[in-house]
Amino acid sequence: MNRLTGYRGYVVGLAFWALALFLALEMGAADHATVDIITKLRLPRALLASAVGMGLAVSGCVLQALFANPLCEPYTLGISSGAALGTVIGMALGVQFSFIGLAGTAFVGAMIFAVILFLVSLKQGSSNLILLLTGVMLGVLGSSLVALWMTFADLNGVQGSLSWLLGDLSSARIGGSLMTLILVVILSGSLWFHWRELDALLLGEEAARSLGFSIEGSRRKFILLTSLLVGLCVSGSGIIGFVGLMVPHFARKMVGSLHLKLVPLCAIWGAATLTFADMMSRSLFKPFELPVGVMTAVIGAPLFMWIMLRNEKKEAQ
Amino acid sequence: MEPPVLGAYGVSYSFPNSSRPVLKEVSVEVERSEILALLGPNGSGKSTLLKIMAGILPLPRSGLNGQVRFGPVEVGTLTARARAKYAVYIAPELRAEFPLTAFEAVSLGRLTHPGTLLKQSTKQDLGVIEWAMEQSFCWEFRNRDIRHLSDGERQLVSLARALAQGAKTLLLDEAISKMDLNHQAAVGKLLQKLKGQGYSFVLVTHDFNLATEWADHCCLLNKGQKVAWGPLQEVLTEARMREIYPDAGLIVGKNPATGKPKLFFS
Repeated sequence: MNRLTGYRGYVVGLAFWALALFLALEMGAADHATVDIITKLRLPRALLASAVGMGLAVSGCVLQALFANPLCEPYTLGISSGAALGTVIGMALGVQFSFIGLAGTAFVGAMIFAVILFLVSLKQGSSNLILLLTGVMLGVLGSSLVALWMTFADLNGVQGSLSWLLGDLSSARIGGSLMTLILVVILSGSLWFHWRELDALLLGEEAARSLGFSIEGSRRKFILLTSLLVGLCVSGSGIIGFVGLMVPHFARKMVGSLHLKLVPLCAIWGAATLTFADMMSRSLFKPFELPVGVMTAVIGAPLFMWIMLRNEKKEAQ
Repeated sequence: MEPPVLGAYGVSYSFPNSSRPVLKEVSVEVERSEILALLGPNGSGKSTLLKIMAGILPLPRSGLNGQVRFGPVEVGTLTARARAKYAVYIAPELRAEFPLTAFEAVSLGRLTHPGTLLKQSTKQDLGVIEWAMEQSFCWEFRNRDIRHLSDGERQLVSLARALAQGAKTLLLDEAISKMDLNHQAAVGKLLQKLKGQGYSFVLVTHDFNLATEWADHCCLLNKGQKVAWGPLQEVLTEARMREIYPDAGLIVGKNPATGKPKLFFS
């Protein structure tokens, strides 16, 4: 297999992240940015983008391993729908509060859905399949309720929540961003320390069992940690697609699937990718701003397909 | 006297929410350095019994009655890791959803012996992995992606992973069925060699003629019940085989070279 050897993937990723951070501070709507603009607007936003990108990529990577399914992503478990529902209801009712600088209503919504999912995982005999189905079902339920609410809500409320649903980092404040970044790093780190359990899951549940791992315990732990991580990301940024699906696959192409190497690489590339995408979404059509979720999907989808197809061809030869 | 390496005693099992029992009061033992063949028609409960004996049946175990013992110890009292160091179940197929080299897939066997927190493999691990892969003839394709291997090659990788795990009781569930004749013969020799080193094996297979070549004893299951258990010649009688496989028209003969019982279609 063609792989990057040694530390090249990390070095390139860190360089890309640094470049993205630099550009994110440099570029923007104002041509001559004052110190205030940079420290009060662009810096918090770049930090939040890094945190959310990191969290989405790491949770995507973990969920793909947990369900031994390469199609899983952070939104597969439906937690983002809970956040969306919380936000939309909050906006419509005019209830707004913040939790460590994040959209509080979104966080509450995400956690309610996460608790439902966790309760299902506690039930004896619940398999990965049941969990996955519950997640998908919660997702559909949440987005249907969002649609229902929007039908009855007034237009101004809908406008506000629409941009949030497509991913929106503009609400970043320095305190909240730093707090999110710290929590994301802690949660990602604690997921990383479980690399042995994640590796064992790569060959499926039965193989993990015969390797001497208790699947029931791992499942609960990973559901809990990823729910918190996804809830945190979604509350900070709205729904941003593709990073959580794309970055882990991209990272696996570089270092393979063993999680000791893979999880940190996902973290670095996730942070770099979203910081870069957010910088582009702000500066490409200035003074207009694209929702960053649109940006990641428009660039991400074709790029992802190209990388995957090109690699398939290479491997087939 | 040394207790059996592995023993199932009065094992009954039915799946949750199902009244139809898969296993009814099955008892069987495996001695050290013994190869036991677990034979029987589709749906006779062979694989389920094998998983129960390996202690890897998923929860809830409410439908499970009876006892499984690893030596003198009841399996339920062991931790998952202690169990995995003692006996390992080898599935018919190696699931390959993610890019992994054959070497990495085998190295997963060493997860049962975790070292320091941030070190993938110790020097000792690497030695064991190489040994396991050479034993099971997959060292030469160690750098290939398991998704691009043939089914038979993947089964060799599975076997190597199980050996790398270090357990001395191996339970093979149709785990050689897709290998070519060379590899099957070579694995047969490997099992005999490992047997000499104190390994024990349970083979679930539909290939009677392979099983009878290698096994010391066999246990015949039908419809969840044990029909017979003992030395090959005593268990595999023509009358019994015709009763269990009524449509196959079986004849029991002998391998002219080794004298082991063989089945033929009439």
